[in-house]
Amino acid sequence: MSTTVRYKNSVERVYTDGRDIDTEAGDLTGEAADQRASGSTDKHLKEQMQVWRQAPGPRTGDPAYYNVPMLNEPVWEWAIPTYYYVGGLTGAALVLGAASQMGDAGGRKELIRRCHWIGLIGAGISGGLLIYDLGVPSRFFNMLRVFRPTSVMNMGAWILTGAGGTAFLAVVLRGRENRFGAAGEIAGYLAGMFGAGLATYTGVLTANTAVPVWQASRRVLPILFGTSAMSSVGALFELLGGKGEERRLTKIFGTAGQIAEFAASVAMEKQASVVPRVGRPLKKGLSGFVWRAAMTLTAAGLVLGLIPKPTRRRRLAAGIAGTLGSALMRASVEHIGTASARDARASFQQQRAGYGAAEIARQPNQ
Amino acid sequence: MGTSFGRGGATTFPGDLVNSDVIVIEGSNMAECHPVAFRWVMQARERGATIIHVDPRFTRTSAVANLHVPIRAGSDIAFLGGIIRYIIENERYFKEYVVNYTNAPAIIGDDFKDTEDLDGVFSGWDKKKGKYETRTWMYKDVDPEPAGGTRESEAGEKGQPIQRNPIQAEHTDETLQHPRCVFQILKKHYSRYTPELVEETCGIPRYLFLKVAEALCRNSGRERTGAFVYAVGWTQHTVGVQYIRSAAIIQLLLGNMGRPGGGIMALRGHASIQGSTDIPTLYNLLPGYLPMPKAKHDKDLATYLRLNTSPSGWWGEFPKYMISMLKAWYGDAATKENDWRYDYLPTLTGDHSHMNTVVDMADGAVKGYFVMGENPAVGSMNGALQRKGLRQLDWLVVRDFQLIETAEFWRDAPEIARGDVKTKDIKTEVFFFPGAAHTEKDGSFTNTQRMLQWHHKAVEPRGDSRSELDFIFKLGQRLKELYANEYGQIRNWPIRDMTWDYPEIGPLKEPSAEAVLHEINGYTVADRKPVEGYSSLKDDGSTACGCWIYSGCYRGGKNMTARRKPYWEQNHLAPEWAWVWPHNRRILYNRASADPNGAPWSERKKLVWWDEQKQEWTGLDQPDFIVKRGPSHRPSKEARGKETISGVDPFIMQADGKGWIYVATGLQDGPLPTHYEPQESIAKNPLYGQQCNPERMEWIRKDNPYHQPYDDPRFPYLITTYRLTEHHTAGGMSRWLSWLSELQPEMFCEISPELAEERGLKNGEWATIRTMRGEIETRVLVTRRMQPLRIKGKLVHQIGLPYHWSTKGLVRGDAANDLIGFVADPNVSIQESKAFTGNIEPGRKSKGRRHATSGRLVKKLPSREQDRDLPKVGHKPESKHGYKAEQTKEGNI
Amino acid sequence: MAASKGFFTDTTLCIGCKACEVACKQWNQLPDDGFLFSGMSYDNTVHLGGSTWRHVAFVERPVPLNTQTDGAFSWLFSSDVCKHCARAGCLESCPTGAIIRTEFGSVYVQPDVCNGCGYCIVSCPFGVINRREEDGRAWKCTLCYDRLRDDLVPACAKACPTESIQFGDLDELRAHAKERVEQLHERGMPEAYLYGASADDQPGTEGLNAFFLLVDKPEVYNLPPDPVAPAKKVKDAWLAAGAAAAGMALAAVGAVFFGGHRA
Ligand SMILES: Nc1nc2c(c(=O)[nH]1)N[C@H]1C(S)=C(S)[C@@H](COP(=O)(O)OP(=O)(O)OC[C@H]3O[C@@H](n4cnc5c(=O)[nH]c(N)nc54)[C@H](O)[C@@H]3O)O[C@H]1N2
Ligand SMILES: Nc1nc2c(c(=O)[nH]1)N[C@H]1C(S)=C(S)[C@@H](COP(=O)(O)OP(=O)(O)OC[C@H]3O[C@@H](n4cnc5c(=O)[nH]c(N)nc54)[C@H](O)[C@@H]3O)O[C@H]1N2
Ligand code: SF4
Ligand code: SF4
Ligand code: SF4
Ligand code: SF4
Ligand code: SF4
Ligand SMILES: [Mo]
Repeated sequence: MSTTVRYKNSVERVYTDGRDIDTEAGDLTGEAADQRASGSTDKHLKEQMQVWRQAPGPRTGDPAYYNVPMLNEPVWEWAIPTYYYVGGLTGAALVLGAASQMGDAGGRKELIRRCHWIGLIGAGISGGLLIYDLGVPSRFFNMLRVFRPTSVMNMGAWILTGAGGTAFLAVVLRGRENRFGAAGEIAGYLAGMFGAGLATYTGVLTANTAVPVWQASRRVLPILFGTSAMSSVGALFELLGGKGEERRLTKIFGTAGQIAEFAASVAMEKQASVVPRVGRPLKKGLSGFVWRAAMTLTAAGLVLGLIPKPTRRRRLAAGIAGTLGSALMRASVEHIGTASARDARASFQQQRAGYGAAEIARQPNQ
Repeated sequence: MGTSFGRGGATTFPGDLVNSDVIVIEGSNMAECHPVAFRWVMQARERGATIIHVDPRFTRTSAVANLHVPIRAGSDIAFLGGIIRYIIENERYFKEYVVNYTNAPAIIGDDFKDTEDLDGVFSGWDKKKGKYETRTWMYKDVDPEPAGGTRESEAGEKGQPIQRNPIQAEHTDETLQHPRCVFQILKKHYSRYTPELVEETCGIPRYLFLKVAEALCRNSGRERTGAFVYAVGWTQHTVGVQYIRSAAIIQLLLGNMGRPGGGIMALRGHASIQGSTDIPTLYNLLPGYLPMPKAKHDKDLATYLRLNTSPSGWWGEFPKYMISMLKAWYGDAATKENDWRYDYLPTLTGDHSHMNTVVDMADGAVKGYFVMGENPAVGSMNGALQRKGLRQLDWLVVRDFQLIETAEFWRDAPEIARGDVKTKDIKTEVFFFPGAAHTEKDGSFTNTQRMLQWHHKAVEPRGDSRSELDFIFKLGQRLKELYANEYGQIRNWPIRDMTWDYPEIGPLKEPSAEAVLHEINGYTVADRKPVEGYSSLKDDGSTACGCWIYSGCYRGGKNMTARRKPYWEQNHLAPEWAWVWPHNRRILYNRASADPNGAPWSERKKLVWWDEQKQEWTGLDQPDFIVKRGPSHRPSKEARGKETISGVDPFIMQADGKGWIYVATGLQDGPLPTHYEPQESIAKNPLYGQQCNPERMEWIRKDNPYHQPYDDPRFPYLITTYRLTEHHTAGGMSRWLSWLSELQPEMFCEISPELAEERGLKNGEWATIRTMRGEIETRVLVTRRMQPLRIKGKLVHQIGLPYHWSTKGLVRGDAANDLIGFVADPNVSIQESKAFTGNIEPGRKSKGRRHATSGRLVKKLPSREQDRDLPKVGHKPESKHGYKAEQTKEGNI
Repeated sequence: MAASKGFFTDTTLCIGCKACEVACKQWNQLPDDGFLFSGMSYDNTVHLGGSTWRHVAFVERPVPLNTQTDGAFSWLFSSDVCKHCARAGCLESCPTGAIIRTEFGSVYVQPDVCNGCGYCIVSCPFGVINRREEDGRAWKCTLCYDRLRDDLVPACAKACPTESIQFGDLDELRAHAKERVEQLHERGMPEAYLYGASADDQPGTEGLNAFFLLVDKPEVYNLPPDPVAPAKKVKDAWLAAGAAAAGMALAAVGAVFFGGHRA
């Protein structure tokens, strides 16, 4: 199959099968004559790689190859961490929506509607972000041609589709005075289930990688993502300025999330640092700063929100801090992953310390 | 090699290296420059052979060798001389071989004096002319009759006399004890080349030297053989030929010539560079090593033939080859009456080797220049002088795949970028023709093992690209057309009479390459039937042959060079793969693989032997010998020509059939290799008062300044240049290709951590390297692969420079050759690009005037030219010393 | 189904000529990776990636290699490639099914299916596969699938002058590799060992279809000492996700039932 691409510094789009052969002529004009540096292709590596300044050689007990990364780092840019946030928000909102449907939901009508709308819009934005990252819209559907439980991302695609679909049905059908209304009711509950998946699977997605810090944190990441999703819902409702029951309810939900999120971050730091080199990105450098900032903001949001007698401004401040905190939390996870992938020694030391394949051998049930 | 064994080509082929028990790679970086041939070395290693790499740098070859021996660039003769001494002192030579197959027993004339006697020069040094009169080097009581031309050597006045009497030693001593015999002279000549001297000359620790010497000796003899491998790490010195001679002596002493796993593997560079000496692009040779007639003495055919026909050995056949060639060139016009049109041949009036031509260009004497498949603006020495030459031309034709620097010198060159030279001031008219690649044309390559291999055209050339064959052919046709109405003038007759009738084939109407091969092979004039080989050639005009040594490559009308039967379907010599000159012999001098009686020296090392039943030589290879001549044959005193070859003379191309340990005639600079320092050195010659090769060629000009002979305070470091696997020579075929360019994207220098520390250089950053010829900027690669050597207690730093980059292409950088001056070996005019001095400093510091062609670069110091040459032998010669070009006309720029 | 094919790369035979790198680029018509002088010995392509599917590492060590050089120095070369893992992280993680196991046992990315999500990149424990900026899809060594279909040896193996890259049936390669290690040990090179030759050697990937003979720690060549296909550990994460989802549901229900009433 051929697609068209536009090379850097070139106006026309050309057909390519990805191998740079001029498919129309069937060959190159003089072998490799047209091969040009179309920008550094392995951009992520070359961008951060610096010319090696020492004579190669000195041996240490801790060898590595010119300190170049061993892994290829995540190619995900801003869209994916944003998706983590939006998706999480969407998911947790749908969970809250479903819970609110339970029992006597009369007083929570507005809340339920809002949750479902957040779910619908959020799912839409999420899809948009993913498509943006893929570059070509139709490529999103390649994921829906198969159902692959081994691929967390494939599961995620289905979960997102499910969440979006059910949220849509819930929005349009629920509350109708006919039999569709019941379907809408069910759709709402289903949306809640998908939402729970949507808010947490991204943690599994990152954990299920070779990136040392993510792999080391695999037991915490889904919890961190889930709790952070809760806190982002709480923060959003603070911003939306809900009233009465809605407000109390979302406050409890959000605060629980924030407390748990904070606890999860502390736990993650501990988990990741079992091999100190692996935990380093959480403490050092830009990634460490972002991570700390996220924790601080979450804590600030929590504290602001807990001060009795909230004012409108304080609520706004708490909402902003909470939102930023949980959004930054996802961004920082991305950052620490990138930093970790760039550090070959993190992988090496992790594996030498028995946390490579040896770790599974120690747990025969896996 | 030619003077030691009789032929200039590699004596063996890379595939035979698997049979070696020890392989010494010295003066070549084989793994990087000949990676495909290197597979055989790897296989030999896997079979247990010891691989030794002697190189100033630790290279990819060293990395897989068993032993790397670091050596100071330019000091190999001291090292090899040390090995010769070791062999003799410890009596490790192969006595039977040495006595029977070499000229070790020959007794030398009484007038001969060694460098040991004269502090670094041999007898016959003519202080007036600054060159040797070589008669005293001859065998005792042999007079080679001095009046004469030259064979296989230089032109005109520089020529060595060619003998007319048979050169067979009149007196020999088979006990090798006679004080004037070659063996004793050799022993004395190298008596001071002790391990200690090797250490202080080459910087090689004694124990390492002894390891190499011992490995060589242990792996030679009846049962075992060793091979030497060299390339341009040896040839590109002012004593290049003598480097190879040293190896020849070792191999003869150890009895390694002509035997499986033995020999000297000369690795040729460019595709078909062997071919371009066989059917030469050299100014002083005709095809098949027939010398170009000299204006001074080759007045007519009879004289030419008389002076070049050797009374003894194979060159006695000379007239047959020459006349057949003339017949091929001038066809029916060549008759006995008109001396086969010998008078059509141009004659030589002097040395027109590359560097001389360049200075002639720079001085305005050369008006037009064809450059086909070469990029001299980058690849030749003193790039700025080369480009200055191009600027003085009226016209220049460049044929290449790319718009290389040589074609673009008028708008893209360092001196133009700097503003020293303005494009509008250059009057040269440049014609660029796109060349067809080997995949776009039929033809043959003659590769390193003298093998002609055919390649078929795979695709038609694109656009205006055409093959060289097509270009030359059509150029010839046009010349004929152009001169057709001027044939009345005799001077145009060579054009009129040249046979130029190749059939034109294919959609592009290109001349048939096979038809050319047919002519090269030779044919009987009457029926144009291909001849069987050069033994069928006649001197009566009944045969025509373009190149006698290639005769047989089109035997029976079959393109032998296109044969493709792999070695696993035959024996490892693969006689049915392509075709090898001469006569498809894969290992030269293979008669020596059998003992004097004709039996193999050992079962393990058998190759060719005498079959008593059939009364002929037989074996795995084509015998490089007269097939029916038994080991017991001894020629009569009256014998002439090839009849003089006895049954124990394996080196049939030599006048006396022996391997020449001592070269009685044929070399300019001495019968035995002697250690001389490079033109520019970091050390005084530790052995002799004579610092440099006294016969070296120099070009004393303002635009080609030299440093002081040694200890020049301005230029404290030794520099050597070389190639990388990732690029090809001057870059025309690699710097335009992204896949190769990305592998080595920038010009760099290689230096040791110690030198980096001394000069404050950082890995990956920039450095400026300077000589009196020019300045370049390079990236720095600091590596432990470069190690400083300890020479007389002093640390000597060497700087390594690949020479692939210049101003065009996908990846660019400064050209190493802008640093190097013109200075050359006297025998073959090869430049000294492997050892010279220079300076290095951190940063990008070159600015303003960066080449000697634009003015002086560094402050002037008092000249110490006299230190290069021995004062005792008559001060500095009054006349020109070596070859010195005239002062440039623009004298005082 | 054809017998499983693979590579045995014997680094003791490698001369660092990079013919494999170039042959791969030529056969697959891959673009260059940018012209960058790295300062890292002779390695200027640095890493495997979307347009470099073979990569030769150059290791300068101030320690000698047994049986080889004298003195305290050695220079190791190793031609790296996709390992075509028996249990391939990239394949397991691919959400589109673009990455498949072929009839030759190799791991192949179908360019027409790949959507460029980039998940395989972080899932490969060797840092092999990468996305190409120009077309946004993931690329890596195909084990010359197109050549194998035509009974040709992969371009890189074909170009290797010293048989450092050996291509063939995996069973045979493994047997031969074992012999080779023994041979080297006998010759006095005890440091030689096989990397990833079998599931026992490398349980995390259950063995590599492209395995190596090395003479120093894997890290020296930029190879992980104990890699693991991430999916082998994913159960932990799913359990955690389950717990998180349950917790979230609980929190939501709790909030609804206890938070709704005004105290
Ligand atoms: N990849 C590649 N292959 C090539 C070429 C190419 O450009 N690229 N060029 C081809 C051509 S044209 C040629 S002529 C051949 C040349 O083949 P080689 O001669 O093998 O190549 P070089 O790299 O010029 O030099 C060989 C070695 O000589 C060493 N050397 C320098 N000075 C001395 C000295 O004084 N003594 C000793 N013992 N060693 C010394 C250098 O350090 C270098 O490692 O390669 C051919 N093959
Ligand atoms: N400092 C230093 N200088 C050196 C050396 C060294 O070791 N050190 N080595 C020397 C040696 S050994 C050599 S051989 C020279 C090489 O120096 P050059 O011969 O000047 O350099 P190349 O780049 O090989 O030039 C060959 C050109 O021929 C073109 N070409 C290839 N095939 C064809 C064809 O079929 N037709 C036509 N028309 N063109 C073709 C190529 O594109 C290329 O541009 O450099 C010498 N210079
Ligand atoms: S470039 Fe050609 S001649 Fe040189 S090693 Fe490679 S295959 Fe042989
Ligand atoms: S090495 Fe990486 S890219 Fe190759 S098969 Fe294994 S996991 Fe996939
Ligand atoms: S980038 Fe392509 S091959 Fe890689 S996981 Fe995504 S869809 Fe699969
Ligand atoms: S098998 Fe083919 S695609 Fe893979 S590295 Fe070798 S040449 Fe490249
Ligand atoms: S082609 Fe072979 S010898 Fe050359 S670098 Fe690649 S693996 Fe090594
Ligand atoms: Mo050359």
